[in-house]
Amino acid sequence: MFRSSNIVARIFERQVRTPPPGTSVNCARQFYENLFPSYTVYDVECPDHSFRKFTDDGQYLISFSRNHQDLIVYRPKWFTYSCKEEDCDLPSRAKKFDSFFTQLYCVSLASSNEVIYKDFFLYVESSQFGLFATSTAQFHDTPAIGGAVQGVPSIERITFHLLRLEDGEILDKKVFRNDFVNPAHNMGAFLYDDLLAIVSLRYQTIHILQIRESGNLVDVRAIGTFCREDDELFLNSSTQCMAIVDKSKMHQSSWSHVENSVNNTQPSSENSFLSGIKQRLLSFIFRGIWNEERHNSQRVQGLKKKFYFHFQDYVDLIIWKVQFLDRHHLLIKFGSVDGGVSRSADHHPSFFAVYNMDTTEIVAFYQNSADELYLLFEQFCDHFYATSRNSLYMNFISSHSNNIHAFEQLQSIKNKASNFSQFAKKMLASLPFSCQSLSPSPYFDHSLFRFDEKLISATDRHRPSTDHPIKFISRRQPCTLKFKIKPGPEAGSVDGRTKKLSSFLFHPFLPLALSIQQTAFLQPSVNIHFRG
Amino acid sequence: MNNSTGISIPGEGGGGGGGSTAATSSWVSPTSVSTSGKRIQREMEELNNDPPPDCSAGPKGDNLYHWVSTIIGPPGTPYQGGIFFLDITFPSGYPFKPPKVVFKTRIYHCNVDSAGNLSLDILKDGWSPALTINKVLLAIRSMFSHPDPYNPLVSGIARLYLADKAKHDELAAEWTMRFAK
Repeated sequence: MFRSSNIVARIFERQVRTPPPGTSVNCARQFYENLFPSYTVYDVECPDHSFRKFTDDGQYLISFSRNHQDLIVYRPKWFTYSCKEEDCDLPSRAKKFDSFFTQLYCVSLASSNEVIYKDFFLYVESSQFGLFATSTAQFHDTPAIGGAVQGVPSIERITFHLLRLEDGEILDKKVFRNDFVNPAHNMGAFLYDDLLAIVSLRYQTIHILQIRESGNLVDVRAIGTFCREDDELFLNSSTQCMAIVDKSKMHQSSWSHVENSVNNTQPSSENSFLSGIKQRLLSFIFRGIWNEERHNSQRVQGLKKKFYFHFQDYVDLIIWKVQFLDRHHLLIKFGSVDGGVSRSADHHPSFFAVYNMDTTEIVAFYQNSADELYLLFEQFCDHFYATSRNSLYMNFISSHSNNIHAFEQLQSIKNKASNFSQFAKKMLASLPFSCQSLSPSPYFDHSLFRFDEKLISATDRHRPSTDHPIKFISRRQPCTLKFKIKPGPEAGSVDGRTKKLSSFLFHPFLPLALSIQQTAFLQPSVNIHFRG
Repeated sequence: MNNSTGISIPGEGGGGGGGSTAATSSWVSPTSVSTSGKRIQREMEELNNDPPPDCSAGPKGDNLYHWVSTIIGPPGTPYQGGIFFLDITFPSGYPFKPPKVVFKTRIYHCNVDSAGNLSLDILKDGWSPALTINKVLLAIRSMFSHPDPYNPLVSGIARLYLADKAKHDELAAEWTMRFAK
């Protein structure tokens, strides 16, 4: 049956036809093919802030001051105007940022020697809380004292701030001292419902916190040296009774580090016990190889080759990144120290472990080129995007597991790849996913639009910018060009050779987007794209 | 610190080919490698052919003098279900000097101190060059089922073992569950 994609025809059809059961949302989303941000206001007069993102419910636009000390929050509003029949130019107000956004407040988050991590922001949608991070300067050659990992930089103070976004009230703070949390693209932290995981790279601890409705950050457990929340207490209480009769021995093990360490739960590096999480990991690998063979002698041979030979390498692995798979399971990426800090982490071998924090068991362990894990990733990608999906439109973030076009794209890359394990490694490099890094905007829905993913995508990243506008082409026949997004000045830049970077902020459901083009030494140029 | 140069990949085919772990024990003089090394090599073969129950061991990387051993907590003891890792270091004077064995997994045991050092007569004065790593592992394994409370390293645990064995076993099992799984 022929169906018109004309908006009037669609509205009429919506009136007379009931959509097939369960598809009303999909049908409603087709209207985005008619309503898109086709009009561009170039070089908007706007405050000189660095714009971070729209919250996933579209309520707030988050931005930071240029000196990275203040947080400025805006409320997006729909720009309305009226015009006479013939002469329908936009009023001059449209050139103003204020016509699209109302400033709600500006709060100072960082003290004089601190800066806001501008790449870090997590939104707690259910309670409209925002999580921000500030830090003091970073030191690279800090001695690894008190169980810290050698080679990981140190920051004197990293503070996570929990704010009520409605009025900018700071509700709670969590401070990490002489520690290192990877700030880039929310790498060091992951939010799942009300649970927050923060990875201390320096002390190799996954801190699990709960964000209470009341606005408190509550420590739930710390996974690293110990696994259960009361392990340390248990150990101290049972060693204390040993200590009464055996003071000299106790002295050696746990008291010598107290003076020079901030985190005295860490054992010394020499002649120390394996950390709780390492013990679990090593015993999981051990049991796997042990159970492979029935015959005792072959067993020992297998262990010698596959386990003992690599034992020190496993011991030296550090936790790089963590994500929640559900409320109980964490996906943990382990790798070498070099790969955890440097950006080109892909060259270093790494491993994935699934850890159940309630039973304190490792459930699975894979190398980063494992085809088994890749196949799970290919078929059940959405299970890795474990986010708290409150709003319906958050279910429409395209992935190769829920979208045929994205799947075909993946297949064509896969068929082109000469080496499968290299390909698997490359694909699995995106795991664990960075929290809240995908825009739910319908214009990134692969079932509605086709666009060049090298230039723009739902992933929140800076991209190299060209002077050509980015085309959004309809998926439906006839595949016509629906709209273009062009960052930078209307006439293109004067100097075509300077390197430019663009970032795009799309509103989660309105036909409204910001494009920010940055050129070295120049003030960024901000365009507003909306349906005029 | 014993730092390896990188992480080698535990390939399915295994094999000691991907030797990325550097031999770090600089104190091993080349002359002693010939005698002690040969002896350790022979013991490794013996261990591979006839390993003691619930025990296994092997060299870390390609350093023949530094081994890791795993002992599975013997059934019927409070250590049942635990996986205990131990570091074994052979001195260059081996077999005339005993190997040094240290627990890498926490254990509640009157003969293991809070740093993981264990007191076992055959690893000290009772050492004889006739003993092998097989026998050492067997002795450690039997330590799990038969602690020696009369020569303790942690007298508190020894006292509890003698006074209230049920309470001792309960605590040891709790430690195993928490720290040796």
